[in-house]
Amino acid sequence: MELTKFFKDQTEVTPENLGEAIQQAIEIEIATIPVYLYTYYSINRVPNQDAISGGLVQQLTSKGTPLAEANKIALDLSAEIMVYANKAGANIMSVVMEEMLHMALSSNLKQALVGPPSLTGRSPAGYPTMLPGHQPEFSIDLAPLSLNQLMTFLKIESPKPLPEAPELLKAIPYTTIGEFYGMIKSCIDSNDLTYDTSRPQLTPGNRYYAPNMIDTVYYDKQHRPRYVDADDSGDLVHVVDRASADKAITQIVEQGEGNVDAGFNPDGSVNCERPPKQDYDDPMDRELSHFEKFAEIYCRYNELSKLFQSYGLDGDIGKYFIVNFPTNPSTAKYPDAVGYPPGTLQAVSTLLNAVYTYIFVMTEGCYRHSKGNTQYEIFMFGIHKSMIFILNSICGDIQSLSYFLNGQYYTAAPTFENYPFGLLSSPKSQLVQLYNNAVALFPTISYLGQRINDLPDVPLN
Amino acid sequence: MDEKESLTTENSCGGSADMCSHPTPPAPKPAAAPTTSAATAAAAPAELHACMGLNACKGHDRFGTNSCAGTGYCATAERHNCKSLNNCRGQGGCGLYGTAEDDATPGANECAWQGSCAVPIQAERYSTQGENKGKSVWVLARKLFEERMKKANRTYGPSPYECGPPQAWLVQSLGSYDSCGSAGNKYCTFGFNDPAKDAKELCERSLHHVICGSARQTESASAATEVSCKGSPQAEVSCKGSPQEA
Repeated sequence: MELTKFFKDQTEVTPENLGEAIQQAIEIEIATIPVYLYTYYSINRVPNQDAISGGLVQQLTSKGTPLAEANKIALDLSAEIMVYANKAGANIMSVVMEEMLHMALSSNLKQALVGPPSLTGRSPAGYPTMLPGHQPEFSIDLAPLSLNQLMTFLKIESPKPLPEAPELLKAIPYTTIGEFYGMIKSCIDSNDLTYDTSRPQLTPGNRYYAPNMIDTVYYDKQHRPRYVDADDSGDLVHVVDRASADKAITQIVEQGEGNVDAGFNPDGSVNCERPPKQDYDDPMDRELSHFEKFAEIYCRYNELSKLFQSYGLDGDIGKYFIVNFPTNPSTAKYPDAVGYPPGTLQAVSTLLNAVYTYIFVMTEGCYRHSKGNTQYEIFMFGIHKSMIFILNSICGDIQSLSYFLNGQYYTAAPTFENYPFGLLSSPKSQLVQLYNNAVALFPTISYLGQRINDLPDVPLN
Repeated sequence: MDEKESLTTENSCGGSADMCSHPTPPAPKPAAAPTTSAATAAAAPAELHACMGLNACKGHDRFGTNSCAGTGYCATAERHNCKSLNNCRGQGGCGLYGTAEDDATPGANECAWQGSCAVPIQAERYSTQGENKGKSVWVLARKLFEERMKKANRTYGPSPYECGPPQAWLVQSLGSYDSCGSAGNKYCTFGFNDPAKDAKELCERSLHHVICGSARQTESASAATEVSCKGSPQAEVSCKGSPQEA
C-alpha cells in the first residue's frame, strides 16, 4: 500500500501538525473497518448443525466409536461449533461497531480543533495493506477467518509494542495505536488550544450510537442470548474542551487495546492462560477490550481444534463454518461468475463498493450540517439504512456468486474498495445508475432499488 | 378504562363487551391473499399497528375479523423485516437494532423509518438495549398499547396469545416470517435446551418485569400471573442450517 506521508522529519505531535496527526488517527480507524468486516462476512454464523453432526457421526463410527456414543459426541461438538461461529461473528461485529465509533470520535476531535475530517476515499487503496505509521510495519490482508488472520487482528489491537524491528518511517511513527493517541493527547494537554464548538459533530443523545444490537448477540450452548457489548462501554463524545477531548481519546484506547499490562507474550505468542482479571473496557467490567475479544476467539479456536483431535477427528474446525473467500480480492481482478452473464460479478462488486464509499460521503455530510434535522436524517435514513439494509444485504447477496480461479472455486466476497465518484453528477445518481447496471445482470438484488432510491442525496465535499 | 369496566360498556369501535371478554382462542390462520392497495383504499382505513393484540378497534387486524380492541390477530402495518423499513409512525417493531430509546417504544415510534425491527413482532423477540433488555418486545408493545387505550378511555380485550404470536404460528399464518439479525433463530436449540420452555420463561419474565423502575405491576401483568403463558409454539421450528438472515 502507498502510505500517506504526513511528516518529513517530525516524529512528534505538535499544535502545528495536530490536524494531520488526528487525520492519521482517523485513517488508522478507517483502515481496520473493511478488514474486520471482510473476516466477519467470511463466517457463517448459523451453520447447518445437522450436517455437521451427521458428518461427525460418520467419521467417529468409521473409527470404531459405537453409534450411541458417536451421536452423543457429535451433538456436543456440533453445538460447540454453533456457539463458536456465532460468538466469533458477534465479537468481530462488536469491534467493527466500536471502530466506527472511534472514527466518529476522532472526527469530532478534528472538527473541534482543526476542521472537517476527510473520510471519503480514505480506506486502504488495496490489499495487503498496513496501518499508517505503525512500527514495525506488518501486512494486513482481506482474508477469511483463520488463526493467522486473528493474529493480525491482535497485532492491530496490541497494547504492547510488537517484537519485530522498526522499519522505514513513512508517517508519524508509533508502536501501538494507544501510544499514537497518547501523543495526540499529550499535545492537547500541554497546549492551550482553541476549540470551535460551532462546527457540527456527531454528538451523544441523538440515537446515533448503541453498543448492543442483535448482531452482537450470540447464543450459548443452552441457547441463552449472550451480549458481547456492555451498555456502559462507551458513546459518542461532543468535543468542546480539553476534558472532552481527553475523554474521547481515553475511550478509544480503552475500547481498543485496553490495559497495557495485557498483550502478547514476550515471544510474540498469544497468552491463552486465562488471566486473573481479564481486560475490560467498561466501568462495570462486563465487556472485553478489542484485544481480549480477539484473544478469546483465537484461544477458543485452538481449544476446539484440540478437542476435535482428541476424538481422532480433523482439527480444522474452520471448514464447518468459514466461507471459501479469497484473500485480497479486487473487483478488477475478479473473473466472471459461474452461471451468470459476463460482467455480473464486477457490476455487483462495483455497486457494493459505491455503497460502501457513499457511507463515508454521507458521514462527511454529517460534519457539514448542524442546523435543523438534516444531520439526523442523513445519519438515520442514509448511513444507518445503508449499513444495515443495503451494504449488509449486498455483502450477503454477492456470496451467491462464485468463480473459478487457479484451479479452484471461490465464493465471491465484498472487496470494500474506494469507489471514485465522478464530479459531473451527484454520487447518489451514480449509485442509482450502478444499481441499474447490476440489477440488470443480477436480479436477486431487485429488492434494493427502493432502498437506494430512498437514500438522501449528499454531494461530495 | 379497565377490563372489568368493559363488561358493562359498549365498545366504541362496535365490539360488545362480551366479545372483549371472550376472544377467539388462538389458532393459526391460513396465509391471507395479498390485499391490494386499491382494495385497502376502498375500505374504511384501519389504524396501522405493528402486531397481534395491538389493534385499537374492532375489525382492525389484518383479517378484519377481530371483535374488539386489543384482540386482533395480526399487524395492519406493512410487513417488513428490520430496522428503518417501517412506512409510518407506530409501525416499527423494535427490539433487535436501535438504541435503548428505540427499544423502549415498540409499535410506538414517531415517524416513518424510525422503527427498529420487523413487523409483526414474534413472541420470542427480546430487547437488546435498555430497561427491557433480555425481555419480550411484544409484551412491552402490549403494555404501551394498554396505556394508550386507558389514556383514550378505550375498552380493550386480551390478545389471542398472551405474549404475542409465536414465530411458528406466524410462519403457519403468513406463509413465511423473517426478522432481522445474523445471530440466528430466537426460538432454537442446539440440543441442550427446550425452546418451548425458554419461550415460556421469556414470557413470564417479561410479564413480571417492572418497566422504568415503577413499583407497580401493570394490570395485565398482574392478571397474567394466574395463567400460564399460552404463547409456546406447537410446531417444531428448526434453527439448524437456516440461512443467514438479512
